[in-house]
Amino acid sequence: MALFQSLFGMLYQFGDTFAFLVIACAGLAVIFGMMGVINLAHGEFIMCGAYVTASLARVGVPLPMAVLAGALAAGFVGVIVERLVIRHLYHRPLDSIIATWGISLIATQGVLIFLGSTMQGVGTPLGSVDIGGRFYSIYRFVLMGAAVGLLGGLYLLFYHTRFGVIARATIQKPQMAHALGVNTGRMYGLTFGLGAALAGLAGGLYAPTMTMVPTMGATFIVESFVTVVVGGADIFVGAAPAVAILAFIKTGLTAWYGQLFGQIGLLVTVILVIRVLPGGLSGWLKGTTR
Amino acid sequence: MTETSNGTGSSQPRLAFLRRLEGPQTMGRGPLFWGAAAVAVMIAVVYPLMADAWTVGNTAYFMIWTFMAMGLGLVWGYAGALSFGQTAFFGLAGYTYGVLTLNFGAAYGLTIVALLLSVALGALFAVVIGYFMFYGRIQGVFIGIVTLSVTLVMETFMSQTAGPQWRIGEARLNGFNGMSGISPLTVPWPGGDLVLFPGPILYYVLLGLLVLCYLGLRILLNSPFGNVLVAIRENPHRVGMLGYDVRLYQMLAFAIGGGFAALSGALYTAWGQYITPSSMGLTAAALPIVWVAVGGRRDITATLIGTLAVLYGFQALTIYGSQYALVVMGALLLFTVLVAPQGLVVAGMNLVARLFRRAQR
Amino acid sequence: MTDRHSSLFAKGLMAGAAMALALACPAFAQDGPIKIGVLEDQSGDFAAATMVKVHAIQLAAKEINDAGGIDGRPVELVVYDTQSDNRRFQEFMRRVLQSDKVDAVFAGFSSASREAYRPIVNQFDGLAFYNNQYEGGVCDSNMIVTGAVPEQQFSTLIPWMMEEYGPNVYTIAADYNFGQISAEWVRQIVEENGGNMVGEEFIPLGVSQFGQTIQNIQAADADFVVTLIVGAAQASYYEQAAAANVGLPMASSVNVGQGYEHKRFNPPSLANMYVTTNYIEEIDTPASKAFVEKFHGMFPDETYINQEAANSYIAMYLYKQMVERAGSTDHDAIRAVIAEGDVCFEGPSGNTCLDPQSQHMSHTIYLAKVGDDHSITFPKVWEDIKPYWLGEAGCDLTKSDPSAQYTPSSPPPAQ
Repeated sequence: MALFQSLFGMLYQFGDTFAFLVIACAGLAVIFGMMGVINLAHGEFIMCGAYVTASLARVGVPLPMAVLAGALAAGFVGVIVERLVIRHLYHRPLDSIIATWGISLIATQGVLIFLGSTMQGVGTPLGSVDIGGRFYSIYRFVLMGAAVGLLGGLYLLFYHTRFGVIARATIQKPQMAHALGVNTGRMYGLTFGLGAALAGLAGGLYAPTMTMVPTMGATFIVESFVTVVVGGADIFVGAAPAVAILAFIKTGLTAWYGQLFGQIGLLVTVILVIRVLPGGLSGWLKGTTR
Repeated sequence: MTETSNGTGSSQPRLAFLRRLEGPQTMGRGPLFWGAAAVAVMIAVVYPLMADAWTVGNTAYFMIWTFMAMGLGLVWGYAGALSFGQTAFFGLAGYTYGVLTLNFGAAYGLTIVALLLSVALGALFAVVIGYFMFYGRIQGVFIGIVTLSVTLVMETFMSQTAGPQWRIGEARLNGFNGMSGISPLTVPWPGGDLVLFPGPILYYVLLGLLVLCYLGLRILLNSPFGNVLVAIRENPHRVGMLGYDVRLYQMLAFAIGGGFAALSGALYTAWGQYITPSSMGLTAAALPIVWVAVGGRRDITATLIGTLAVLYGFQALTIYGSQYALVVMGALLLFTVLVAPQGLVVAGMNLVARLFRRAQR
Repeated sequence: MTDRHSSLFAKGLMAGAAMALALACPAFAQDGPIKIGVLEDQSGDFAAATMVKVHAIQLAAKEINDAGGIDGRPVELVVYDTQSDNRRFQEFMRRVLQSDKVDAVFAGFSSASREAYRPIVNQFDGLAFYNNQYEGGVCDSNMIVTGAVPEQQFSTLIPWMMEEYGPNVYTIAADYNFGQISAEWVRQIVEENGGNMVGEEFIPLGVSQFGQTIQNIQAADADFVVTLIVGAAQASYYEQAAAANVGLPMASSVNVGQGYEHKRFNPPSLANMYVTTNYIEEIDTPASKAFVEKFHGMFPDETYINQEAANSYIAMYLYKQMVERAGSTDHDAIRAVIAEGDVCFEGPSGNTCLDPQSQHMSHTIYLAKVGDDHSITFPKVWEDIKPYWLGEAGCDLTKSDPSAQYTPSSPPPAQ
């Protein structure tokens, strides 16, 4: 029984970390992987999704609908941001870092000024379940399901829909796609909007489990970057195994040595991966299959 | 700076050395520019006599940061490698200075030795990281990510050193709250040591150091070393084909940049008698990039002027703009990137140059 | 000068008499206004808990000015937003002391910011009030601390909890000075009372996911959990622990009284939490009710009046008393008054007195219990709890000024 308890406990922790990394990094991965833009305002899109979700849930909108609305709101903001700012910076990826950092400053402080320094959250729904003498939050299992669904959904979207084919074409050979009649500007806008919406989704999904403050996005940022970098440029090949490996490292280190080593372990992994596999996991996987 | 002394085929080595003060890699040349520069230095020298003590000390404080900015200007603007982690060297040097002075005290000019050792250690650490990156063929945004990770690891680690077991000799690292009780810079002086608290003396020391570093960097950048760096930024492959070891040049540039960041770190620690892990955090790491980007990264003069202007501007915003300061800062960044991508100071300098030429015509 | 500062904070102080008087007579140093610098985080991470401190200071300044000022001189506030950034504390501490030439400074929320500005206060021999509860141990004659310290909060809280719920204690604490030192106090007090530490875990600042920690707690068979976690990210623990049905009573010195978590989170995530604090707005005494009413009269939208707000308010009146008794704002004269040992103030939190040895305050400590619906009750009140440790350990500011911070594991050197 004790063995089952600790084994299931480990598995649960792994799943929990896995879900967090997938959901947190999806938006960043789409924007970085597809467009090569490092979006430092990623955390603020997450915050946007979380705030919209919490506000709606508190006036009685069912939580799933509220989460969806949060994602849509963040996506909408993302499309506008792309139109006004990011569009002008595709040839200058380093400048887009500065621009998105500027956006993030404005968003965090703007929210603080207009909505106050904190906001009441929504409680975690669904309660808990007793498995082998320990209690586990059911909502955490929902998050794990959502993470798997998200990976599957993105794969289907980019590989089995017309939008996905055109989007990938636009990213790989923009001139050619343009010559073939693709409205590349619109595709960039939609991709960025999608990335922002995914960030908003992350905010919405985690809103019931977290404190609502303007800087809440910051707690997602480091983990997201780590995952994206370890995964490499091709998010579909690299992200899932990267998340699995990182979740394993983090859960293991946290369980045996405490939270500090879990944090540091992630960062050291990034440095090592970049050194050993400059293309990230996806580059390495592609290299070996070729 | 060995590169500068082996001047290429000049009949007058000493003059050749000075001639590199101007060249293709730095803006500003001729008597007009140097006249203006001399006037600027003169004003800087005279102004403490007229300004109040706080303003002088505050300007000295701003000058502390310019070294890190110029170092980043070299690494990012000239060598083309965006380092997001200059604060790692800044913090390492700050902590080194703290540990050394807390253990060995401030007498006999030991703080100066501590300062030099901190800078050396910072530069050495930059060599290690640089070796790891450039010899690992890491490029582009990944350099930013690796360096950011390094500084975040250091921040995370230092933040948890609050326990009593974390001490180096007399010095407690003291975790997130930061190490305090550090000695300010102290110069041995006949008739009692000279303690460089923020004030006119520190101001003049920093001004001298700043002028020295600025001129030194100009010479370095216009030397063959600087030319190769710029060539690497523009086209590393071609430079490699021409027989230069690209990785070595990048690593050296990174080490110099790290040394400058370390100089800022040690000076900052001496100035405030305090160093904290948050000086290596994400916000702190982003700030030097902002200074350099807003001023203009491809020219050392623009970087210097821009950094001072941004530091002054942001502080003034915080004093007068209250809660809106951060919003205005963000907007300023967006404006710079979208309207004057080469930097506001460079844009301004270009404008002046164009007007001047038109006037001459 | 005055106009600029008044633009810093919106509506509140605009009409204040201080400004009018300050404008009228800026030139007289001794008879002019008494200037007080206020360096608090009005933006950034800590803003949620510190905006109210600024308001409390403004309220006290207005009251004092309406009643004729300090010793007949009006109070003028010089307020800067430090943006939760240690560097801004360094910059502005120099500014208020050197350029604005204030008579006293009220500054700082995080201990890091206090340590950042303390060398500068020492250098210019200023007088700073740190109106926060913190990990304790600052022995510095330039500092007056009005917040509660661990020995006041834990020597009351832990024995009571052990008697009520049992001897097995699990501590989770933020992995920095406050958490480490507080955890040390908890450990010591638990052992002194014959209890048993079944677990102790330190969480890095900024961690927001607590899956593993929650599991460890569930596995440890604790009778109650001491939560010493800080910051918005770590506060996510409560929601997650409630969702996982941890169901243990919690004890804390830092929650509720500072970040009003019981107001921000949905019930019942904080149910069964016990906090020792020297003030929160729910306290049911006439003095406290009057204070809350005055506060809302001036700041109708105030979210929550926490212990730091009360401490800031008390600090203003303490300063008024000290200056009036000393007859000047001169620091030596003020210290002579402190050394008399009877600088006390009967304020919203009850009677508080300043200890001349450590320049910390004695407090009435209230045990606040959070109910299932997040309402607050007070099962126990301890009066006149002294900040005993620092003085017993050997800090005596009436004799010498080491300007250092001590901890139980690195106490002052033996005399």
